[in-house]
Amino acid sequence: MAHPLRQDARPVVDASTTARGSRIDLDGVSRRYRVGEVTVTALEQVDLHVDEAAFVVILGPSGSGKTTLLNLIGALDVATEGRVRVAGQDLTAASRVERARLRRHTVSFVFQSFNLFPGLTALENVQFGADVAGREHPREAAAATLAEVGLEARAAHFPHQLSGGEQQRVAIARALATGNPVLLADEPTGELDFRTGVAILELLRRQAEAGTTVLVVTHNREIARVADRVVELSSGHVVGDGPPPGGRAPVSELHW
Amino acid sequence: MRTRGLFLRWTARDLRRRWLLVAAIALVLALGTGTYAALIGSSDWRRESNDRSFALLRMHDVRMTLSEGLTADAGVLADAVTRIPQAGQVQDVAERLVVPTLVDVSGPGEQVLVPGRIVGMPVDPPVDLLHVTSGQGLRAGDPAVVLERSFADYYDLPDAGTLRVAGNRAVSYAGHGQLPEYFAIAGGGGGSFTTEAGFGVVFAPLETAQQLAGAPGRVNEVVLRLAPGADDEEVAAALEDELAGRGLAGTAVVKGEEVVYRTLYEDIDGDEQFWRIIAGLLLAGAAFATFNLTTRVVEAQRREIGIGMALGLPRWRLAIRPLALGLQIAVVGVLLGVVVGVVTGRLFGGLFRSLLPLPVWEQAFPYATYLQAAALGFLLPLLGVAWPTWRAVRVEPVEAIRVGHLAARGTRLAPLLRRIALPGRSWHQMPVRNLVRTPRRTVLTALGIGAAIATLVTVFGILDSFTRTLDDFDAETTTSAPDRVTVQFTDVLPEDAPQVAAVSAAPQVGGSAATLLVEGTARAGGEEVPLALSVRDMAGGLWRPTVTGGDPADGVVLSEVAARDLGVAPGDRVELDHPQRSAAGVTRATTEVVVAGTHPGPIRAVAYLDRSRAAPFGMAGLVNVLEVSPAGGVTQDELTRALFEVPGVASVQAATAVTDSFREALGAFTSVLGVAAAITLLLALLIAFNATSIATDERAREHATMFAFGLPRRAVLAMSMVESALIGLLGTGAGVGLGYLLTRYTVEVQLHRTLPEFCMPAVVSPTTVGVALALGVGAVALTPLVTLRQLGRMDIPATLRVVE
Ligand SMILES: Nc1ncnc2c1ncn2[C@@H]1O[C@H](COP(=O)(O)OP(=O)(O)OP(=O)(O)O)[C@@H](O)[C@H]1O
Ligand SMILES: [Mg+2]
Repeated sequence: MAHPLRQDARPVVDASTTARGSRIDLDGVSRRYRVGEVTVTALEQVDLHVDEAAFVVILGPSGSGKTTLLNLIGALDVATEGRVRVAGQDLTAASRVERARLRRHTVSFVFQSFNLFPGLTALENVQFGADVAGREHPREAAAATLAEVGLEARAAHFPHQLSGGEQQRVAIARALATGNPVLLADEPTGELDFRTGVAILELLRRQAEAGTTVLVVTHNREIARVADRVVELSSGHVVGDGPPPGGRAPVSELHW
Repeated sequence: MRTRGLFLRWTARDLRRRWLLVAAIALVLALGTGTYAALIGSSDWRRESNDRSFALLRMHDVRMTLSEGLTADAGVLADAVTRIPQAGQVQDVAERLVVPTLVDVSGPGEQVLVPGRIVGMPVDPPVDLLHVTSGQGLRAGDPAVVLERSFADYYDLPDAGTLRVAGNRAVSYAGHGQLPEYFAIAGGGGGSFTTEAGFGVVFAPLETAQQLAGAPGRVNEVVLRLAPGADDEEVAAALEDELAGRGLAGTAVVKGEEVVYRTLYEDIDGDEQFWRIIAGLLLAGAAFATFNLTTRVVEAQRREIGIGMALGLPRWRLAIRPLALGLQIAVVGVLLGVVVGVVTGRLFGGLFRSLLPLPVWEQAFPYATYLQAAALGFLLPLLGVAWPTWRAVRVEPVEAIRVGHLAARGTRLAPLLRRIALPGRSWHQMPVRNLVRTPRRTVLTALGIGAAIATLVTVFGILDSFTRTLDDFDAETTTSAPDRVTVQFTDVLPEDAPQVAAVSAAPQVGGSAATLLVEGTARAGGEEVPLALSVRDMAGGLWRPTVTGGDPADGVVLSEVAARDLGVAPGDRVELDHPQRSAAGVTRATTEVVVAGTHPGPIRAVAYLDRSRAAPFGMAGLVNVLEVSPAGGVTQDELTRALFEVPGVASVQAATAVTDSFREALGAFTSVLGVAAAITLLLALLIAFNATSIATDERAREHATMFAFGLPRRAVLAMSMVESALIGLLGTGAGVGLGYLLTRYTVEVQLHRTLPEFCMPAVVSPTTVGVALALGVGAVALTPLVTLRQLGRMDIPATLRVVE
């Protein structure tokens, strides 16, 4: 059976893009929501320091604050308390325009619920990522990235004509196509079967090897095994931080 | 089932979230229904006001006026009334003396010298009471007179003062007042048109009038009120006979045939037809927009409905939320509609009050009419939600819950969509894509805007047509000798009569041209058109009409409309019914004549005949109107004043006065159109605003995703604006096209029926198209700016978090 992903795929991001730096530093970060009388604490006193070109998996049960953490790093959300620094920029003090610029040129997202543009084809959705980040030859870059996730044959299809897993791969390709040095992926393998999931992880790993800082959110312990480092969240607290138990495993050893 | 409470709470939450939208859509509905009720309902209160005004002043049922120049001793006419067989049915009688005059109320800086009439009447008559509007009325033993109110109002005259009448006699007046016959002053005789500005009526105690007329103790008119159920026609005929037997010829007119009485009621019917068009347009525009907007709001809920179906909820329960929305809009719309109806009703009431100042204006809220409109206003939003709800519950649940599936349904346009690849950034594609992706929504929105624009173009187009017609008329009137005046003699005279010479030889006169103005009727192919025939020098004179066709001297020159209505073209023959003077007096005759050509004047009745052709009509060498241009250095005012003093002159009017009186006669139409235009403007803006805020809701997720990728707010806004502009362009294109067709239909079919004497070409001016474009494209494109704050305050993570 032909594998959906090309095995010889090269990393999309070349090292030069990461020259801007892609360290992530969180110090004493909390995020609380007030809903009427109730205060929901999504994150509490989180300290997290991620090196450039690291491949970090954020592990935790549902509702533990994983998406919230990604949103803070991705400058989509502002911490209630503490300091968030991404690629040398302090997001706590950043203006809205500065945060928009960071999202544009430094981070890229794969959303838990994809959020593809229903009016654009798969290829155009990917090209959107390349366009926004201001890459040269966005169309070619988009086509190449779409091929990386094995969807070149579906380039002209609209999201509603794709399966859930295919939509997720388009969302991943869109994030990769930005070429930004920080990649934030929220449950990128949630909709994928084992083989495709593994291939996607392989792809993300290679991004990290090429210099991109990759944060992958999952509640799947098996996936956490391929990470350089696993940060475990529980009820908004960091309850574990270190290499995966039993050391880092090659992607080929995974099974779930 | 427990879910009932849940659905109610859900509905309440929906309302809290979009009360502004509900209110704005309701306002669209209210503008349509309220204005409709106010316009159509105006007929009822106008009729009511007429009835009560005529009743208040105890208007006569029969008026008998002796032939011109005849008078009788006071008491003779009243005595004759007691001799007719129906004398028992006569309740009240009053004798009057009515004489033509000139009225001069010139003040410093303004010359007001117009033809008019002295109405001598008892100071306390039992019939035709004088309604005093300011100052004081007629008093026994006091010679002071009362000025007709609209004339006094027009020139802003004080309550009391002095005026001059023919013979340069000063008379003091003590107040302003109204008599039923002068509630409206319109239409002079012989093709000259008069309004309150050009006709001064003076109500005087009988003795004062007799003294001014040099006819002490004489009267020439008697007015009667009859018992209920009496046959007025019979009384009129009997009175004519009775007086003729005494050598007192005259005409008895019954109330229903009094010009003012008839036109006041006929106007209502005529206007109503016109109002129906305007009100119908507004209602249709608002109705369509309401339907459209509610449909779109519910379309956005289709996915939720699908999920509900997938969960096995009964359909009626799924329909609760959308129907509740429809109900809210219906209720708020109907309530707001009453407010709009009352406000616009007051506005129209004010307009009519000033255009036609009746003694009694009763303006009850037109409940019956409003109920019709409200019923429609209630049904529309419900239909607007029922349709998409019905569509939603028919869809297989499995389809309904697929991401983006419903939104992208019906994309037979998909292949086309792929081909529309614009150069540039991928998001440059989005506006067009979004439109093509959801063709039904696009078309619905565009049509909503189109309906408002069509209404706007039609209303403005009708105004344009009026204006253009009058401007053309003005231009035609002033092609030569623009400052000429038209002098009308009290009688038809031979060309060499001393009165004619007195005018043409006056030192203030530069040039003059003799014309004869007679009324006639043209007939051809079973059709009949009344004519005001001007017999004049078609080759020379001070002014000539523009004639298309043949040689104007060959025969009669008809107006283009008259020719069209008669179905004739230059070269054809028409039968002309006309007065003929001979030694025996004036008789009527019918003469066949060739149609020499047509002229572009807007008044259907106006026709011309060369003086050289007058002989077969028995009209050779006769004059009753002289066109006169001022001598060098003489102003039109000086000329007018000088000519008024010439004996035998009935009126002196600037040639352009005709258009001025027309402008005023059309005042009711133009004022109402002005109000309607303001309302359509508001309507169009509201529709655009609603469409945008709905679109912003629909697009919230996409916008949040773009923000997440760092696209700046202005890029997102620009995208929305381009999209809005494209929809606006589509809608405006359709609206302008439809508006043009509606204008043509309204002007050429409907108005031609309402105002057959007046011909208008349908015109939609470039300004109107410009306003439509500016509003339909420009303003609509700018409406996303109102969402600027909303976009800025968007909670991006929360918006992204929610799975559709
Ligand atoms: N806007 C909000 N208002 C209130 N509470 C919120 C809001 N957003 C998130 N939360 C709460 O914050 C907590 C963390 O949410 P978050 O989405 O980060 O969880 P997660 O770890 O991503 O969960 P999952 O694996 O289910 O996606 C949850 O308890 C959630 O209810
Ligand atoms: Mg999450």
